[in-house]
Amino acid sequence: MTSIELTVVEQIIRAGRTFQLTFMVIMGILAFLAYRLAKRGREWKIKPLEAIEMLTEGVGRAAEMGRPILYLPGISGLSSAQTMAGLTVFGEVCQKAAEIGVTTHLVTSGTDVVAACEAIVRQVYTTIGKPELYQPGKYVKWYGADQFVYAIGAAGHILLDKPAFVVQCGYFLSDVIVAGETASRVGAMQVGGTADQSGLPLMGICCDSLLIGEEIYAASASITGDKLATATLAGEDWVKAILLLLMIVGVLAWAAGSKDIWSLMGM
Amino acid sequence: MSATVTYIRTYLAQAVIIVGCLAMLIGYFLVSPEAGRVADELNIWNMNVGTFTLFVGIITIFMRYGRSIINRDPNWLFHLYCLVVIALWVPFGTLTGVYSDLYQTLYLNTKITLHITIIGEMIFFCVSAMYRTFRIKSFRTFVLAFLAALMIVFNAPWLTTPFPQVGDAAYWLLNNPQMAAARAMVICGGIGGIILGIRILLGLEKGALRITGG
Repeated sequence: MTSIELTVVEQIIRAGRTFQLTFMVIMGILAFLAYRLAKRGREWKIKPLEAIEMLTEGVGRAAEMGRPILYLPGISGLSSAQTMAGLTVFGEVCQKAAEIGVTTHLVTSGTDVVAACEAIVRQVYTTIGKPELYQPGKYVKWYGADQFVYAIGAAGHILLDKPAFVVQCGYFLSDVIVAGETASRVGAMQVGGTADQSGLPLMGICCDSLLIGEEIYAASASITGDKLATATLAGEDWVKAILLLLMIVGVLAWAAGSKDIWSLMGM
Repeated sequence: MSATVTYIRTYLAQAVIIVGCLAMLIGYFLVSPEAGRVADELNIWNMNVGTFTLFVGIITIFMRYGRSIINRDPNWLFHLYCLVVIALWVPFGTLTGVYSDLYQTLYLNTKITLHITIIGEMIFFCVSAMYRTFRIKSFRTFVLAFLAALMIVFNAPWLTTPFPQVGDAAYWLLNNPQMAAARAMVICGGIGGIILGIRILLGLEKGALRITGG
């Protein structure tokens, strides 16, 4: 009977992907559950991250110094989740800055990112009730699609513009050091964030504070403090707790000679 | 903004995203030739849209740089140079083909040369960053500097030969703490990405959705 049931499952779900699908559904359910609980009035508190606090501090610093902010979303296009996360943070930083009269510039390497960021900036100025301040081409800069052309363009922009605050959040590789070091030379405060393992150590050298890995995905929810968005982070933590438990049980089971968890994961 | 335009920019965009996500997920997880065909078709559309955004980018750059040249903004000469180069390369590549000998020779003698020059400049940035890394101010910076020094020695064969213990230590660092941290980052990054997607679909992520927000 078991073999027939398995055959039916195998006929519906691709081999080795049952666990992935189940886990993704559980993840969605937990995130939605946390969201529903928040809608009913449950409040979730998250530990403040140093880098998130520095984002607000950096905007204030730029206002005090009368200098602009530079935002770098990395070298990837809109198809990258890290770039999308970077743009969500950009929207929040840009709005916070625009509300107190600070200009935020963005240098990108992707032409699709240029179009998206122009839309974000336009919407920010419309939201704060100053649509007349938006000028196409004034805030979003493109110096080239190549990794290092973009990096050198960003470095040149930093030397010309001397921003008070530089945020690098998205997908980066070794290009991060070019913009990061240049920003250090003009005395800019820097916050970096990436989920890429080769870009992160270089960011660690240049930046004052870091958003490591998944923190870049949670950053915008943390900045706004929106209860519903924060609730999904609680759902994310539940998922991580389940995974951790699964790992511990899996390791213990493996040590005891059982491969059940291993097989369950379709490995 | 009229209600129709708001509807198209917000709800229609969200509907397209949801349908696209479902089709891709069904194609990936379920044994369904129909869903697979839909996913393949969506991939082709994705490439088409990607190509189209390239045109959007080029049009944006032409409009922006054109305005800069007309107004004689700072660095307008560089903008003019950029537009001339784009205007020359596009028809040239289209007419001769990007794999023609002439195109490849020109490409290798311009773009690649400039690229190598830029990479050469990286040395100065690396030296500057190294100075920053080895400026020990706290225990954390000491640990960073010590590990960086260890990895530098590990990558220098003339130093690993007299000190083979450095190699063992570096391998241990790479295979244990580094590997554990890297895997934690990848797993949590994946979860974070999916939850971000859920937030976007629920309309909670205001930052990115300003693109489609009315």
